[in-house]
Amino acid sequence: MDPKEPVGAKQPHKKVLCIEDEHFIGELYQRALGNAGYDTILEVDGVKGLQLAQTDEFDIILLDLMVPNLTGIEILRALRDPTKTPHLKAKIIITTNLEQREDVKEDIEKQADGYIVKAEMTPKELVEFLTNIA
Amino acid sequence: MDYLSRTKRQYWIVLFVCFLIYNALIVGLWLLLHSLGSHFHVANDIALLICSVFGLLLMIVFSSIISKYLIEPLKAIWQLILHISPSGVAVPAPNIDSLKTGRELVANLAMQVYQLTAVAGQYGTKAADSELNNNFVANKLPLPLFILDSGETIIYANIAASDYIGTPVKDLTGKNFYMVMDMSFPSESTLDKWLKDVKANTATASMSWERVRLNVLDNHPTRLFDLAAFYNKDNPQNYETMLVLFDHTKQYSQDDQAVSFVALSVHELRTPLTLLRGYIEAFEEELGNEMNPDLKDFMQKMGATAQQLNAFVNNILNVARVDNDQLQLSLHEEKWDSIVESAITNIALRAKVRGIKLESHIEPGLPTVGVDRLSIYEVLNNLIDNAIKYSNDSKVIKIDAHLTHEGMIETTVQDFGVGISPNIMSNLFTKFYRDHRNRSQIGGTGLGLYLSKAIVSAHGGNIWVRSTLGQGSIFGFTLKPYTMLAEEIKNSDNKDIVRGAHGWIKNHSLYRR
Repeated sequence: MDPKEPVGAKQPHKKVLCIEDEHFIGELYQRALGNAGYDTILEVDGVKGLQLAQTDEFDIILLDLMVPNLTGIEILRALRDPTKTPHLKAKIIITTNLEQREDVKEDIEKQADGYIVKAEMTPKELVEFLTNIA
Repeated sequence: MDYLSRTKRQYWIVLFVCFLIYNALIVGLWLLLHSLGSHFHVANDIALLICSVFGLLLMIVFSSIISKYLIEPLKAIWQLILHISPSGVAVPAPNIDSLKTGRELVANLAMQVYQLTAVAGQYGTKAADSELNNNFVANKLPLPLFILDSGETIIYANIAASDYIGTPVKDLTGKNFYMVMDMSFPSESTLDKWLKDVKANTATASMSWERVRLNVLDNHPTRLFDLAAFYNKDNPQNYETMLVLFDHTKQYSQDDQAVSFVALSVHELRTPLTLLRGYIEAFEEELGNEMNPDLKDFMQKMGATAQQLNAFVNNILNVARVDNDQLQLSLHEEKWDSIVESAITNIALRAKVRGIKLESHIEPGLPTVGVDRLSIYEVLNNLIDNAIKYSNDSKVIKIDAHLTHEGMIETTVQDFGVGISPNIMSNLFTKFYRDHRNRSQIGGTGLGLYLSKAIVSAHGGNIWVRSTLGQGSIFGFTLKPYTMLAEEIKNSDNKDIVRGAHGWIKNHSLYRR
C-alpha cells in the first residue's frame, strides 16, 4: 500500500485490450497499466470488443462480463471457438463484479486464463496480477 | 378399482330403479283390480292371473332394458379391440362419450389397450404414421413430446408440445426442429452437438439437460425446462430422436430472481467500491509526497474503510449462499502460512489506522491444508476484523497457527479488548447476533461469525471461542491437513486451478504466495 512501492518491471510493447463498459473503471485501469508500461486500448461495446480481440494484436484481454450488445461470456466462447477465432495469443482475464451462476463459472474456469473480482483489487494490484501471468 | 366400483354403483342404480318401477306397477295394478273388483265382481283369482301375466310382460321389457345397459360397456370394449386389431376387419372406434354406464371404466381400459398397442408397435408389429397422430397415449401425455427423423425434421409433435410453444401441430410437423425451437443451453453441451456426436458414434443413446431456455417471440413468455432425449438409429419407422420437455419455468425463474437480487445488489455496491478504491490509490500515488501527515492519514483511513465495506459486501453474498445451500467449496492443497500471511497483509491497513499491531506466530513445518482459499480467507478476515473492532484501547492482536495433538491445524486470533460475557457465548455464531452492550459503539452486522462457522464446518473443522470479560477474547478454528482430504480432492476436478484471495489464475503458482 506504500505509494512509493515500485510496480514491477516496466512492460514495454505489451498490449492490453480492456473491454469494460464502466468508463471510469476503464480509465483507472488504463492509467495504472500505462504507468507500468502497457499500451491499453479501451472498448465499451461487446461486438466491437470481440472484433478488436480477433485481430490478435493483444497480449492480454481484460474482459468484463456485463458489456452492451454481446455479453462477456459470449465473447469468451467466441474467442475460444476455433471456427470463429482461429488463433489467439492473448491471455484472457475475466474482470467482473457480478456473481456468476455455477454453469457460467464452469465455462469461465475452462476457458479463461484468470478471473478477478474488480472490487477486490485496486488498479495497481491488478497490474501486479497481470505481471505474474503475462 | 375406483372405475370398477363406480360402474358397479351405476348398475346397482339401474337395477334398483327397474325393480322399483316393476313393483310399483304390479302393486298399482293389484290395487286397481281390487277397487274395480268390488264394482264388477271380479274374482280374486282372476285378478291374480291378470297381475301374473302383466308381471311377466313387464319382466320381458325390463330385462331387455337392463341387458342393454349391462352389455353397453362390454360392447364398447369389444369394438375397441376389434378396431385396433391388425386382423383387417373395419370396425369403427367406439364412441366412449355416449356410454351411459361404465364410461370411466371403458375409457381407462381403452387407454391401457392403446398403450399396449403402442408398445407392441415399438416392436415393429404395427404402427403407421397416421396412427401415431391419432395416438391416444402420446396426445394425452401431459409432457411436450417431439419425434424427429434422421434429418432432424419433426415428424410428430403431441398436443402438449403444440400448446407449450404456442404453435399448431400442423405448423410443427415437417419443419426442422431447430427452426421451430430456438433453445439456449446453460453450457457448451447442447442438443445439436450431442446428436452430431451420437449419430457418428452410437446406435442408441440418451441424455438430459437442465435449465434449457426456449427463446420465444416477444409476445410469448420465456420457457425454462429440462430436456430429455432418446436416440435410436435403427428405428424402423425412422423415429430417430425422441425429445421430452419437463417444464420448470416457474421454479427456475424464481431461483433466478432470488439469486439475482443478492447478486445484483452486490454488483451495484461493488462497482462504486472499485472506483472508490481506484481513486484513493491514484490520489495516494500522485499526491502522497505532497500531502501533510493528517491528510495522508485520512487517505489511508478512507482506503481502509473502502476495504471494510468490500469485506461486508462479500459477507452478504456468502451468507446468501450459505442460506440457499449454495456455498460451494473447491478444496486444494495450500501452504497455510502463506494464506495466513496474505490475510494479515491485506488487513494490516485496517489495523494500522486504528493503531493496532498484528503479531503472528506460525509454527514452522506445518503440513499443507486442503482448503478453498477464497472462503477460508474470509474466515481469517472476519476473525481479525472482529478482533480489531473489539480491541478497545489495547493495541495488539495475536495470530497463532499450530498443530494440535489430533493432527489438526489450529489457528487462533486473540485480542485483549472488551471480552464477551459467558451468558451470551453460545449465541455468538448465530446469524445477526451481536453483543447488546457494544452495539452503540461498535459497527457490525452479526454476519461474520455465522459465516465463519459455516465455512469452517464445510472444511470439516471446528470453530470455538474463549473469553474473559474485560480481558479479551480468543477465537480459534481447526482445519484438516491435506493428506486427510487428499482422497476426496483426488476425485474432484479443477486440480490445477490456483485460487487466490481475489481471483484465480490457471496453472500458475506465483500469485500471492
